[in-house]
Amino acid sequence: MDLSKCTIAVLCSFVAWTITLMNCLISPAEMSGDVAVKLPGAVIPVSKANSLEFFYSLSLSSFPEDLEVNEYCIELLRIYGQRYVTFANCLVFYARPVKVCQNCYTGFKGLKEIYLNISSGQGPGNVSCHDSLTRSDRLMLLYTLYSNLEDIWTSAKCDQCLTEHEEALTNDTRYFMATLNQSLSCFEQYKDNHSELCKDCKPRYKRLNELYGKMEKNQTLCIDIEDAMNITRKLWSKNFGCSFPREETVPVIAVSSFMLFLPIIFYLSSFLHSEQKKRKLIHPKRAKSSSSLMNIQDKFS
Amino acid sequence: MANITKKVSWSSRGDDRGERTPLLNGAEDSKLNRQLSGGGIFHIGRLSTVDLEEEITPEEDIIRSRPKEIPHNEKLLSLKYESLDYDNSENQLFLEEERRMSQMGFRCLEITRWVICGLIGLLTGLIACLIDIAVENLAGLKYFAVKQNIEKFTELGGLSLSLILWAVLNSAFVMVGAIIVAFFEPIAAGSGIPQIKCYLNGVKVPRVVRLKTLVVKVFGVICSVAGGLAVGKEGPMIHSGAVVAAGVSQGRSTSLKKDFKMFEYFRRDTEKRDFVSAGAAAGVSAAFGAPVGGVLFSLEEGASFWNQLLTWRIFFASMVSSFTLNFFLSIYHQKPGELSSPGLINFGRFDSDSVQYNLYEIPLFIIMGALGGMLGALFNLLNYWLTIFRIRYIHRPCLQVMEAMLVAAVTATVSFAMIYFSTECQPLGPDHTEEYPLQLFCADGEYNAMATAFFNTPERSVRSLFHNPPGTYNPMTLGVFTLAYFLLAVWTYGLTVSAGVFIPSLLIGAAWGRLFGILLSFITTSKSIWADPGKYALIGAAAQLGGIVRMTLSLTVILVEATGNVTYGFPIMLVLMTAKIVGDYFVEGLYDIHIKLQSVPFLHWEAPPTSHWLTAREVMSSQVTCFNRIEKVGTIVDVLSNTSTNHNGFPVVTHVTEIDEPSKLCGLVLRSQLIVLLKHKVFVERAFSRFSQRKLQLKDFRDAYPRFPPIQSIHVSQDERECMMDLTEFMNPTPYTVPQETSLPRVFKLFRALGLRHLVVVDNENRVVGLVTRKDLARYHLGKDGLEELQLAQT
Repeated sequence: MDLSKCTIAVLCSFVAWTITLMNCLISPAEMSGDVAVKLPGAVIPVSKANSLEFFYSLSLSSFPEDLEVNEYCIELLRIYGQRYVTFANCLVFYARPVKVCQNCYTGFKGLKEIYLNISSGQGPGNVSCHDSLTRSDRLMLLYTLYSNLEDIWTSAKCDQCLTEHEEALTNDTRYFMATLNQSLSCFEQYKDNHSELCKDCKPRYKRLNELYGKMEKNQTLCIDIEDAMNITRKLWSKNFGCSFPREETVPVIAVSSFMLFLPIIFYLSSFLHSEQKKRKLIHPKRAKSSSSLMNIQDKFS
Repeated sequence: MANITKKVSWSSRGDDRGERTPLLNGAEDSKLNRQLSGGGIFHIGRLSTVDLEEEITPEEDIIRSRPKEIPHNEKLLSLKYESLDYDNSENQLFLEEERRMSQMGFRCLEITRWVICGLIGLLTGLIACLIDIAVENLAGLKYFAVKQNIEKFTELGGLSLSLILWAVLNSAFVMVGAIIVAFFEPIAAGSGIPQIKCYLNGVKVPRVVRLKTLVVKVFGVICSVAGGLAVGKEGPMIHSGAVVAAGVSQGRSTSLKKDFKMFEYFRRDTEKRDFVSAGAAAGVSAAFGAPVGGVLFSLEEGASFWNQLLTWRIFFASMVSSFTLNFFLSIYHQKPGELSSPGLINFGRFDSDSVQYNLYEIPLFIIMGALGGMLGALFNLLNYWLTIFRIRYIHRPCLQVMEAMLVAAVTATVSFAMIYFSTECQPLGPDHTEEYPLQLFCADGEYNAMATAFFNTPERSVRSLFHNPPGTYNPMTLGVFTLAYFLLAVWTYGLTVSAGVFIPSLLIGAAWGRLFGILLSFITTSKSIWADPGKYALIGAAAQLGGIVRMTLSLTVILVEATGNVTYGFPIMLVLMTAKIVGDYFVEGLYDIHIKLQSVPFLHWEAPPTSHWLTAREVMSSQVTCFNRIEKVGTIVDVLSNTSTNHNGFPVVTHVTEIDEPSKLCGLVLRSQLIVLLKHKVFVERAFSRFSQRKLQLKDFRDAYPRFPPIQSIHVSQDERECMMDLTEFMNPTPYTVPQETSLPRVFKLFRALGLRHLVVVDNENRVVGLVTRKDLARYHLGKDGLEELQLAQT
């Protein structure tokens, strides 16, 4: 299968190359930069619509049976472009503070749908746009563009905040947002008096923190929630300075020094009171010395 | 201290010896007094002399002669250690057995050896798995409880209570660990590597390869790691592997009194020791995920008795153990079949772009190696002083337990104080590399940076030092941490708990290595990435470990295998080499120091230099107790039960004369063999009267191995004392002998290469004049002013 596909691709590229060549021969003035950079491997430039149309019309006139990108696929391509732009716009718009999951899920859903449509290969009249649109060139732009956005979406973990088919936000998320708003409104209320704020908003903030901890354990966090929580925490500890103070240095030092003192007592007392372990030396029996042994031998031999 | 080490010098040799007073003046039965007992000196615990039964019997006889007593020091040789019988006794029984065995039988034996090695690997892997899981869970529980407590008290006030809770929890764990070690099996203390080194060297360390030791070791290490001491669980794995090997290869457990009637052929020191080396390799392999490193470890420690086939078999055991651990841990982590964590220690994955190093970094590595060597030497020196103090003063078990508990409590205190006073906070990472992040006074969403190092098992701390991205630690934190941990680790090693020194060394090294890396990137103006702190942490860890333990080839391979990155092979080797050279200039390796302090007669690779002038005549012990070929039972029993002469090998001579004349050697018989003979009453008279009696086989000797009954437990009636015993069949007819003029290095080489236990010194007419044993050789060592002689002592 692959081999035949490959052959076809080579054939096509050869055809395209021939066309380009002919095009150059016929009307050299019309040869634009786009055409010039076209390599034999790159059959259909999908990014530039006008160049495509030019190329398309040319090939239509010369080899109608080798038609590669049909009407249907062009339509799909157009829709893809639109949805892509919408979604990318949405992402950028809600980038800081991060609210992409809440606001862009419809956009992502649309993009995903059209991409699946393209890559599934099912069209009217048994037309497959998958090969012609996504796999015909080295760049594979449609695929790369989509997969980049999909990676962003996955690493944002947005699906953890959305219902199963990415239709709406989950109840947990809504509840968290509500709790968050309570805290924020409290912050707003006391923002001039930080000590009051620390005292009065603490129950709400604490509830928010607990909720967050629970959601973290349940793995129902997405980037929106994480970011919102991060900002709130920063407000709480840095802006309003509500962290715990280091108050009890003295008792800690006292207990620590007591503990450190114990071994000194232990070693001193064992040095003074424990009797030192002595080793009994044992004298091995050896020949008295070489000379005396020699004497013995002399005597007996 | 000067009076206890006797300097052997050329000029005063004779005088030195003259000073010695005879201890027992012929007070024993004159019956025994048949050897040449020159100046009335009686045999007082010759060198090779300890009872075969491993318990030491108090030698009351010596007390009355009031021997000199000195405080314990490193220049002693203990009597409680004896040699392994590595040399095969080729007596007639052996030859008979060999003749009976078919070609098939030998092939079966070979296959059995492989099966045993597989079993060793399997069991060692399982033990490693058990330790890992137990430590993880216990430490998890502890840290969870303390963390809860700290969080509660940060809010409410009263953090000193958390400190006390932490200290008490630590002490409680360590107390359990220390009690089982101190009261039940003191030999299980420490990392066990010195003991295994001794065993592979050919020293039979009492009780070192028993089942009880294994149990105590495993539980002890779990307790001490969970107790938060500055220790690791890797060293004890090597010991555990060795015990498993010694147990499995025998096919029975003497402690449990259970005999599986398997592997009976392997019940002797020769075979057992081969398996123990396989076990040690399997232990290393399980501990570090380093099968090749394990094989090299065994090679490095016991290399004189090796062959290719054994190496291959040991490698098999290593592989199996690594695989077993990997497999079961993958099941435990609920990813069955994912074989990517081959060892207990996991250095994590080093990314390929951070592992690169350049030529100009080589000098830096060498500097780090030198630093590691110096710090290692300092570590060893401090630990040496501490160990001497411990041996002299803290020798009662309850004191030892108390000391261990105190160390645990202080470790907790120091950690807590460090965490409490550290003001450095880090934001929580996205992938939660911190197992137990402590917030304390940090802003919400951040954690205390010191807590990653202290509020964690040391192993995880090492990993975070290797892999946390640059900027995670600030130099101040690391500096303080290095200092504190260094002191704690020095203090901890040598406690009566079973615990290893690998991980603390790695941790200290990783901390200062990372510090080094961070400072480097300060110095270099350009923001280049070559000073990746993780890389320097690894190099520092290698340098520190090399500086402390001074292993060479095996450690290099172990570290390369544990990092899983061959690219680092060269820097690690370079660093270890430098560390060893620099460290050896100051003081020996930690294991060697501890071997010396335990007074083990350890034979190094070579005889001490400048010892060629010593000949066998001066080295040997003389007035050898010999037996006749056909000896009276009463004589044998008397010689064996004489507690002051716990000799182990007895040359068999043609005819022992009453006058002090050496007679011709015709064989060597071991105490163990004599005991078995006495037990089975193999007397000449019996052989005629009771011909129905089965002929004694080699199997009977193996059945009694390794705990031969003491002579006292064998009843010999008055009639039987008059019987005769024919030793011809049982003695080794061709023991190794040397002439009197052989130089010490020559004797040494024979001993080391053949794994001898007794070497008979004969004159030119093949008459026995002396006997050289391990302790005769091990006592010479090179001191500060030339050759020194160690003294024998009872420990």
